[in-house]
Order: sequence, then C-alpha cells, then structure tokens
Amino acid sequence: MSEPLSQVSSSLPAVAFLVPLVAGALVLLGGGLGPAFGRRVSLVASLIVAIIGMVMVGVVTQDTVLTTWGNELRVDGLSALLVVAIGVIGFLTVVYSLRYTDRTEFRKRVGVGRVENRLSLYHALLLWFLGTMVWGCVTNNIIMLWVAVEATTLTSGLLVAFFWDRRALEAGYKYLMLLTIGITFALFGCVLIYACAAAVGQLDGRQALLISEVRNVASLLPPSTALLAVAFLLIGFGTKAGIAPFHPWLPDAHAEAPTPVSVLLSGVMIKMALYALARTVGMFFPSWPQITVFVVVLGSFTMVLGIIMALNQDDLKRLLAYSSVSQIGYVLAGVGLGTYLGCFGGLFHLLNHAIFKALLFMCAGAVIYATGLRQISELGGLARKMPVTSVCFVIGALAISGFPPFNGFWSKLTVYLALATSGLWWAAVIAVLTSVLTMVALLRPAYRVFWANPGASVTGHGEVRTVPASMWVPMVVLAAACVLLGIVPHLAYPLLEQAATALAALGR
Amino acid sequence: MSTTDLHVDLIRTLSMMVVITSVITVEVRRLRLSSVMYGIQALLIVALLLSFAAVNPALYWWAGTALITKAVLIPWFLFRYIGKTQETELRPLIGFGPSVVVAAVLMIGFFRLTHSYVDLLAHAELAQEEVFRTNLAVASTVFVVGLYAVLTRRDAVKTVIGLCLLENGVHLSLVSLAPEVSETALFGIATEVVVTVFLLLYVIHGVYLRFGTTDTLRLSELRG
Repeated sequence: MSEPLSQVSSSLPAVAFLVPLVAGALVLLGGGLGPAFGRRVSLVASLIVAIIGMVMVGVVTQDTVLTTWGNELRVDGLSALLVVAIGVIGFLTVVYSLRYTDRTEFRKRVGVGRVENRLSLYHALLLWFLGTMVWGCVTNNIIMLWVAVEATTLTSGLLVAFFWDRRALEAGYKYLMLLTIGITFALFGCVLIYACAAAVGQLDGRQALLISEVRNVASLLPPSTALLAVAFLLIGFGTKAGIAPFHPWLPDAHAEAPTPVSVLLSGVMIKMALYALARTVGMFFPSWPQITVFVVVLGSFTMVLGIIMALNQDDLKRLLAYSSVSQIGYVLAGVGLGTYLGCFGGLFHLLNHAIFKALLFMCAGAVIYATGLRQISELGGLARKMPVTSVCFVIGALAISGFPPFNGFWSKLTVYLALATSGLWWAAVIAVLTSVLTMVALLRPAYRVFWANPGASVTGHGEVRTVPASMWVPMVVLAAACVLLGIVPHLAYPLLEQAATALAALGR
Repeated sequence: MSTTDLHVDLIRTLSMMVVITSVITVEVRRLRLSSVMYGIQALLIVALLLSFAAVNPALYWWAGTALITKAVLIPWFLFRYIGKTQETELRPLIGFGPSVVVAAVLMIGFFRLTHSYVDLLAHAELAQEEVFRTNLAVASTVFVVGLYAVLTRRDAVKTVIGLCLLENGVHLSLVSLAPEVSETALFGIATEVVVTVFLLLYVIHGVYLRFGTTDTLRLSELRG
C-alpha cells in the first residue's frame, strides 16, 4: 500500500458544490435580465467547478485528503476523480448548449413564446444538477450521500421532461417515479448501516454517520443486517446507476431529454450513482467476499442485456442510452471485484466512458441540430457535410468498443485482466464478447448515418445546417482526450492509483 | 436512556392505527379521501414521534418537520392536483376484494415477521425493547403496504400516495434505527419528500393535459 494519507482541512470541497448551487439560484432570480445573463453565469460557474476539480486532482495525487467541516466533507482520490469528470464534462456541456438551444426545432418544441423563461430555468436546473452531483461525491456523511443522490434526481427530473410534450412527459414521469422508489430502498440501506455502526460501540453517534469511519468497523457489523443493507443499496443506487434489471427508465430518460442533458445523464450522473454504490457496498467486501461474485454477475448481465437492446434500435439517442447501460456493466464488474486491479480498471473505464459517451451524445446532438432527425433509417451520407462530427463519432465508437489505440482499449483490457486474474473467466469472456457486439452496434449506425447512400431518406434532399463552433469544439476536445488517453494512458494513472487505493478492499 | 417512562400502551395503539390507516389509504378509491387518510396517518406519526421524544428530545425536531411536511404540505399538494385531474382512482390492477385480502395478509404477515426477527434489521440493544420492536415492525409494514400500492396501482396519483407511504415507512424506522441523526440530515430527508411529491404531481398534471388520463398503462409512446 502507499504511504499513509495526510489530511488537510480545506474549504475547496464546500466551494465546489456551493458555487453551482448559488449560481443556479442567481440565474433563476435574474431571469428578467435576459437569456445572456443565465448563459454567462452558468459558463463561469461550471468553469469554476472544472478548475476546482483539477486543483483537487493536483492535491490528492500528493497523498493528501481534503476535509471540510470536521470530516463532514472528504475528498480522496476517488472523489476527486468524480469531481473532475463532472466539472469538465459539465463545463463542456454548458458550452455545447449555448447554441444548441438556438435550434429552431428546439425553440418550437419548447414553445416560442416561453422560450426565454424556460431557458433560464434550464440553466438554473443544469447548474443545480451539477452542484448536487458534486455534493454527492464530496460528502462523507452516509445520510447526506443519500440526500445528494436523490437531489440529483429532483434537479434533473424537470430537465428530462423539459420539452413538456407527450414523449418528454412520459420519460420524465417514469424517471422521477422509478428513481424515487428505487432510492427509497437505498435510504433504508443507509439507515441500517448507520444504525449497526452506531450499535457496534466503537463509534459515537456522529462518527457512525461518516463513511470513512464506518469503513473501519464494517467487519464488525452483524452479517444478516449487512447483507440486507447491501441488497437495499444495490436496488437503490443500482436503479440510479442503470444496472439491469433496474434500467428501464434509462433509455427513455436519456433519449427524451434535451441532448446536453443526455450528455450529463449518461456521461456523469450514472457514474455518480455507481460511486455511491461503490462507496457504501464496497466497504463490506473484505468481510463478505461472496458479494463480489454477485456484483460481477449483475455487471455481466447488465453488459449483455444493454448491448443486445442497443443492437436493434433505430433511434440514435436510444441506441447510445442502451449502450450506456452496457458500459456501466463493465464499470460495475471491475469495481465490484474489489481487487486493486479491478477497481483500477473499473474506475479507468468510468473516466473513459464519461469522455466518449459525452462525445457520442454530443455528436448525436450535432446530427439532430443539423438535420432535425434522429432515426438512423432516415439519415445517411452526412460525412461530406459534417466532416468533424463524423470523425468524432467514429473515434467515440471505436473508443467505446475498446479498439486500440483509443482510451477504451486500456480500461477494458484492465477489466478483462482483473476478471481473469480473479478466476472469473466466464465474466472475462462475456466482457470480450460484449465489446465485439458494441463495435457492431455503434459502427453500423455510424456507417449508415455518415457514409451510406442517403437514397430515398430525408437527408438526401433536406438541407443540412452548419454546426456552430461552440458545439464542435467540445466534441473535438473530447475526441482528442480519447486519443490522448489511448496513446499515453499513464497520464491518468496517478489519479486512478489514488482512487483505486481508496476503493480497493481486497488484496492487490 | 430508559424506556420505562414511555407510554407503551399509547405507542402500541398509535402504531396499530398507523398500519390500519396505511391500508385504508391504499384501498380507498376516492382520491381526496385517500389523501385525507394519508393526512391522518401523518398526524398519527407525529403523535408517535412525540411519545418517543420523551426518551430522545431530538425527536421533537423530527415531529415538527413531519407535521409540516407530511400532515400539511403533502396533503395540500395532493388536494390541489386532484382538483385539476379526476376525482376517483382508475380501476387498479387488482380488484377491491382481493386487494383488501392481499393487503391484510401482507400487513399481518410482515408485522409478525419483523416483530419476531427484529435483529435482522437492528442489533442495537435499544431495538430489542418492546416499543422499538413494535416501531420497526410498523415501519416495515407501512413500507411493504406502500410498495404493494406502487406496484399494483395504475393511477399515477395513487402511485404517488403509495410512494409517500413507502417514505413514511422508512422515516418511522429512523426513530429506532437512527436516533442521533443530525437535524440537517433529517431536514434534508424531509424536504426531499416534499419536493419529490411536488415535482411528480407537476409532471402528472402535464401528463393529464397531454394524454387526457393519469393511467400509467397508457403511457406507451416510448417502446423498445
């Protein structure tokens, strides 16, 4: 193991989530100041979060843990990984939405008369969504972790239903309802863990709320209660993370939400839920290693189910959403192993998936922006008119399939190796096969949309709008990150080592 | 902390009434009446919290928040929205007769199970005492009845009421399981429920305007 970590008291973790929360309120209050105000505030606030995330990474890679308010907030490698992903993807998403929301169809769907009001609500909710996600990743209080996870559902619920038409409302209703039911189970789980930890007698009432303290006494908790709590947490946070069989809300919500919101939902929100799952369930791995096998089974099932559903989708965004289900299975399988290698691979994949799924959704958004269409069968031959988007999409598709030399290759390879070295050969085989299917599922639509002869399809005749720079620049940044982390993956290693050490509970 | 100064009989009676109100809340098909029953249950919960507060003063806070959120705000939201949509719940998936039987079996079975095997839920010494055993059994029974409602009702508003019961179950368990949770955490948990109910009803109203019904089975635009 590495050197003991030194604790430093800092206000950074609090600032990281308070800034977007306050900025969101400002945007709402200043709704009368015109749409430019909301845009500027959300740009600045999300940039601050991204910068704080990077500063946190710099600090935690020096074997330091940041704490605030007497250990109430705590940022170790794992939290910093999530905060930087949320911050950077969040900032790029805000940049991306600047012009995306100008699209005529977008304005028509929202209702032309109300669009200005609705846009300030949009920016405010986006900021609150970011803020609550960051809050969940920096808190060390198990009850507050639950509150934050539920708060992300509430702040994103109206974003999912943003268009307020039949499809959006159905998705929004399912999203709010299923996630709230699921998450209530997690509250029961969190409360059970707290009650048991307090009953062990080594911690006082306040300490028993702190995840970092409970972790030390996890082995003393009575097995029956611990297993019950694990089951509740898997249902609760698992629903939020989109783990099969609790995933049915995910394709609806991720496909019907405005595309920038889909980027956040698929790119970071499901990871944040998986983080909550790993933090809470992971502490029981050393005492009950059987749980790890069960979690890997869940992960493998999720991988396969997700990609099979993705294979026969005609809706581009729905396809990407199902692929997110599949990919979260890899993260779960890796992190669920509990070994250092497994956590390392799982978390690396978490980071990579945040990058390339955000990229793919942004590309899908660019296609929608340019053509107003999202059914793959109606699209075709866009490569000549949208060269940047087509290249970015293919890079994303290859990266998500684990194709060298892109970043997904390294993280998937690590997950395969981790599964194999733990003796779970069947899971490794499933993971490899799923990767092959992923390539089929994503390259086929990529070919159809960008290169195939448009034939009788609509885009053969319709005009294609130019994608503005504020949309393609974030895409190029993310595509470059895919390539960069693929060629020099060790750039991410210092952070991932810290994160995996924080999480890994079983021998290296 | 001693439990001798608790009014054990009072707590028992209140607990039984909480369980009974949750079954009535689920079974009544007139939505306003159902909301009223929910409000009554909330008041009973407040009374329960107050009677436990004799041994744990922190529960006064919890009782206060529960009064405002569960007994005032949530029924108020429900009333407002029921006025805008239909008054009577759509026919549930399971008819009234069988449903009452199922709910009663669930209620009795689950209550007895959790009452006898309470150490499955909590190892705290406190939880082994009779009043807290009763509390945990009531909490999990309300939880299960709520889950039953959520799973078998097709009316969206009724599903929301079921969800509230589900939350009530968990919140009741906090009395025995988490007596020392800080006020901020309690405040967070309580506010969250109110906001959830508000947002859900807001979205359901939108659904009603667009689809002309609150039947969740008719929400079938998104498939595959």
